[in-house]
Amino acid sequence: MGSDSIAAVPIPSAANTKNPGKKKRTNRSAKLKQYKIDARREQWLSQGAVKKKGCKDGLDDDVHVSSSPVGKQSKREMEKVGTRRRGGEDDVLIHQDSDSESPSNSPISPNSSVLCGNDSGTNFTGSSSGASSSSSSSSSGGCFSGNITEEEEDDEEEVEQEEEVDDGCLDDWEAVADALAADEKHRASPQDEPVVETDSSCEVTDGLSSGCLDSKPGSGGTVPRASGNGKAWRADDAFRPQTLPNLSKQHSMPNPRFVGGVPWSCMSVPSNCPICCEDPDLTDTSFLPCNCGFRLCLFCHKRILEQDARCPGCRKQYECEPIETEASVHGGSLTLRLARSVSMIERS
Amino acid sequence: MQASRARLFKEYKEVQREKTADPDIQLVCDDSNIFKWTALIKGPSETPFDGGVFQLAFSVPEHYPLQPPQVRFLTKIFHPNVHFKTGEICLDILKTAWSPAWTLQSVCRAIIALMAHPEPDSPLNCDSGNLLRSGDVRGYQSMARMYTRLAAMPKKG
Repeated sequence: MGSDSIAAVPIPSAANTKNPGKKKRTNRSAKLKQYKIDARREQWLSQGAVKKKGCKDGLDDDVHVSSSPVGKQSKREMEKVGTRRRGGEDDVLIHQDSDSESPSNSPISPNSSVLCGNDSGTNFTGSSSGASSSSSSSSSGGCFSGNITEEEEDDEEEVEQEEEVDDGCLDDWEAVADALAADEKHRASPQDEPVVETDSSCEVTDGLSSGCLDSKPGSGGTVPRASGNGKAWRADDAFRPQTLPNLSKQHSMPNPRFVGGVPWSCMSVPSNCPICCEDPDLTDTSFLPCNCGFRLCLFCHKRILEQDARCPGCRKQYECEPIETEASVHGGSLTLRLARSVSMIERS
Repeated sequence: MQASRARLFKEYKEVQREKTADPDIQLVCDDSNIFKWTALIKGPSETPFDGGVFQLAFSVPEHYPLQPPQVRFLTKIFHPNVHFKTGEICLDILKTAWSPAWTLQSVCRAIIALMAHPEPDSPLNCDSGNLLRSGDVRGYQSMARMYTRLAAMPKKG
């Protein structure tokens, strides 16, 4: 009975641990991947019982490999890839390190132990040691990631193929993703404001419409309406108003409104928390605790509040603690109180 | 603990990548302990420390970067804000003015700046501070240069 539960584990854990290692990808692929992985996780949760039943009859070494249609072939490829994968391991290891507190990594030990008993698993764990062995075996352990190679495009495609072969649960995920992207485009195009949305699926680098070229850059609200096809300025466009923030800056500070509206847009934020270097989550990306613009994750913010409560960027006190200022400043008392209540919500 | 390790690891990668970015600073991590670092800094030009190479020892606390690293000079230096015997450094950003946004690299830069601009009003080395406070810049400079030659320059022959 024990083998049933263990055998079911590696698939989602491989998906989870694989995930942080790919944060560096381009926005689109990262987003799609995240979407896939989440859908997969849900699928797994709902179909867990079915898979267990499938595993039950095969109690030999290949327990979880044989439970998938890919079967022996993927196993052979895993062996082949096992040696090639060495080069890419550093990345995986790094993220593994920083993420090791997250619950998604907890199934690693049963996972790797299962693989050690497995024929193919020994190939991975034999030559390396410690964290790297667990990361390599967990990342290549699941049946669906069997022939991941070091080349990213191949990787992407093959995973897609595998995905379809694997359990058939996500046959039309591409259609779903396309619909999602189209939906985002729809939502982005009627925007009246000139801000160039950095959302990965909105192609902002397309050519300009003629109306946009004619209008003066300083003419405010009419400019974006003139661009009839909904295209915004290019980053290197001479007519782009100087007041617009540059794109690279926007990548690190996404529009909070869109983070709320488009669930996956936050995945395009590449920057980590400068204090703890962890990847920011959805709440962190829209969290701006200080006027100076210094961003950090909620966890570090809370730890700093417990200590000297000063912003690391500008060394000013965060506007949460000083009750005496609140009492003395008449005009600003409302905003101060507001700031405090907001921060209390975000902290909890 | 985990956060400090991750952060130091990132700084380590940063240092490896930008090895040539700042020729005055060479920051090395201990082979076995990521919480122990050593830095070699060049004395800034137009100071009595010009031409010397000074060794710094970093001891990074568990709660880094919320707490500042402990830094001291391993090379003898005659400077008002450096303890002559222990090498302890009196620098506000290593005490009260520390910010978690600082890195080990930026601490090195701050120490180089301190070497060029001593603060004689909060001295750890009273002899050095008194020379400067009494206006004897020449005396301070010759003493500092002498110790730079003695301790921070490669021995000839």
